[in-house]
Amino acid sequence: MGTRIELHLFGTAEDGSMIEARRAIEAVDDALTIHRPSPTTALNDSLAAGSPAAIDDPLLFDALVEIDHAYQAMEGLFDPAADVSTGGAGWNMVLFDREDARIRALRPLALDFGGFGKGFALDRACDVLRRADRVSALLSAGESSIAVVGEHPLGGRWPFAIPHPLQPDRILLELELEDSALSISSTVGEGTYAPDRAPMIRPGDGTIVTGRRTAVACARSGARAEMMSTALLVADGDQAKRFLDGEPARRFLFDFTGETGISVPPAETVIR
Amino acid sequence: MIDKDFDLTRRSFIDHVLKASAGAGMAAAAPWAAFAASAAPGQKDRVRLGVIGTGDRGRTLIRNIAKTRNCAVAAICDDYEPNLVKGRALVPGGTPAFADHRAMLDAGGIDAVVIATPLHVHAAQTLDSFDAGVHVWCEKAMARTIADCSAMVKRAQDRRKVLQIGHQRMFNPTYLNALKRVKAGEIGPVTQIRASWHRNTSWRRAVPAGSDLERKINWRLYRDSSAGLMTELATHQLQVGNWFLEAPPTRVIGSGSICFWKDGREVYDQVALVFDYAGGRKLVYTSLLNNARYGCEEQIQGSKGTIEPELGRIYQEKPPGVPALRKMGEDVQAGRKRPVPIGGATWFPELPVTTPGESLGWGEYDETMLQFEVFGEAVRSGVPAPGLLRQAYHASVTSLMGEDAMDSGRPVDWPSSLVDI
Repeated sequence: MGTRIELHLFGTAEDGSMIEARRAIEAVDDALTIHRPSPTTALNDSLAAGSPAAIDDPLLFDALVEIDHAYQAMEGLFDPAADVSTGGAGWNMVLFDREDARIRALRPLALDFGGFGKGFALDRACDVLRRADRVSALLSAGESSIAVVGEHPLGGRWPFAIPHPLQPDRILLELELEDSALSISSTVGEGTYAPDRAPMIRPGDGTIVTGRRTAVACARSGARAEMMSTALLVADGDQAKRFLDGEPARRFLFDFTGETGISVPPAETVIR
Repeated sequence: MIDKDFDLTRRSFIDHVLKASAGAGMAAAAPWAAFAASAAPGQKDRVRLGVIGTGDRGRTLIRNIAKTRNCAVAAICDDYEPNLVKGRALVPGGTPAFADHRAMLDAGGIDAVVIATPLHVHAAQTLDSFDAGVHVWCEKAMARTIADCSAMVKRAQDRRKVLQIGHQRMFNPTYLNALKRVKAGEIGPVTQIRASWHRNTSWRRAVPAGSDLERKINWRLYRDSSAGLMTELATHQLQVGNWFLEAPPTRVIGSGSICFWKDGREVYDQVALVFDYAGGRKLVYTSLLNNARYGCEEQIQGSKGTIEPELGRIYQEKPPGVPALRKMGEDVQAGRKRPVPIGGATWFPELPVTTPGESLGWGEYDETMLQFEVFGEAVRSGVPAPGLLRQAYHASVTSLMGEDAMDSGRPVDWPSSLVDI
């Protein structure tokens, strides 16, 4: 994933669940990575060649089910499929048969799960910890994807503060989580300046998102939080309003376009 | 440095060698180290050495021999008069000087020779010395051909004489400590070593105008007398590779070229080779003479970390944790609950790590002195320090099979007809 994962467990003594949770994350990485041979790269070979493929890997299958479901719910704004020749997105060109676990594409495509993989991996690790009756844990994938199990070790919800991406000494947003996940997507801030980092692509027309935005989404599932924060980042005004109106305390979008480092109260920049 | 300071430094150095050689698995991996550290040579009845070759390297060796407690230069020899003159300036007046090594051997009065001559004459001078009944310390690489390397080993065995080759890294406490930490599992199983020796120099020396000494003075540049980068530089690092990978390579592929210094030289000015070791492990080697940015290093890479012995650093694969999350853990321990700042960098490119790592420890010292003390004790007892010759022999063979792979353009397997040591 090229991302640093951290697991912090609190409460009872280590019982092996930490190792099992780590293995769950590694298993997701093994299944979904496109940076070394994996079930996903094998699938991409088939999709690029225009051939149908059977999905034998259970993690890859579960991921595709999750994405297929979310694609409709998010109005196509989260799209892991890219046209091999144009780079434009195209899950709508994918025919995914859940019953027979088979998939094919109507044009040459390749899948890149991106941030979804982080949330999906955190979900699997959280499942392990919940099954082991761990009552308090925090999992982080690159600091932009957080999941918590249970309450804070001192009781109550887990408090988080998200720094302003242009003014790191300021807080953009404070929120609290309990037994849920949080995802931050942004086109501005320190993490976006890494060399060779691919730009954010808007599904549908394949254009690069040039607006300076930060999106935050909370959900029970890390994978869904990831997909929603991505969708918010590329959404137009009407689409963003629909998403935000549905979950005003769990979804946030900040637009810094035109901001030149001048202090702007966060409330003024939230699109609602 | 006054003598007392020097002696204290030497004691500290040897103490470090002793500590490094005491780790688990070290007795088998570096059996000479304990021998070296435990040797207690007296200052009387020094071993008498005849130095063959008093060029730059030979004179450096003379200075190191002078620091030892058990060796002394009893004669010098060089067939190039200007070098012999410089050599005389470093030894006591009256020290016999010769223009031919056979004359020096015939004159007697020495227990062993130190050979610091061009590569292609190492074998003949070594065989002559054994036949004259003296022991041999020879500069690396051993010889110009694998057959000559083998002949040197065979003759040493037949004559029951000590043959020691100048691979000083085997006596360097930083390298010994690196090996100890590898044996302790600190960087996990070593699967690849990336080694390089990059210089920005022509390697060419000035030749007196009007002379016909080009091939004599610039012997490193001509194939009759040298394998160039492979025998003059790579052999050091290939010894380190074989040492840390615990065996010689099984096969090598490579490519060499005269790419930059198109000045009539015959040896490659840049080489790139991949040595295969058992279990799929590899040593990737490059050397060149027109860019010094990456210098000399062996990057010893395991699943948990990397050791760079030339820099004296060890790096762990596991990156440091996120400070905010570490602080959260501390807060919980202290009973404090406050917002955790998150949302920093989300993606980490797989670029070279720029973190400083940790020091392997132990400062600089000229380990060449210690290898001469070890040689001196070996000559006195007639028993070579264990393990040294095997390492050196295999390092020379490794470098020469690399040359063969580059010249032939084909993979070259480890030879099956070597002398057992």
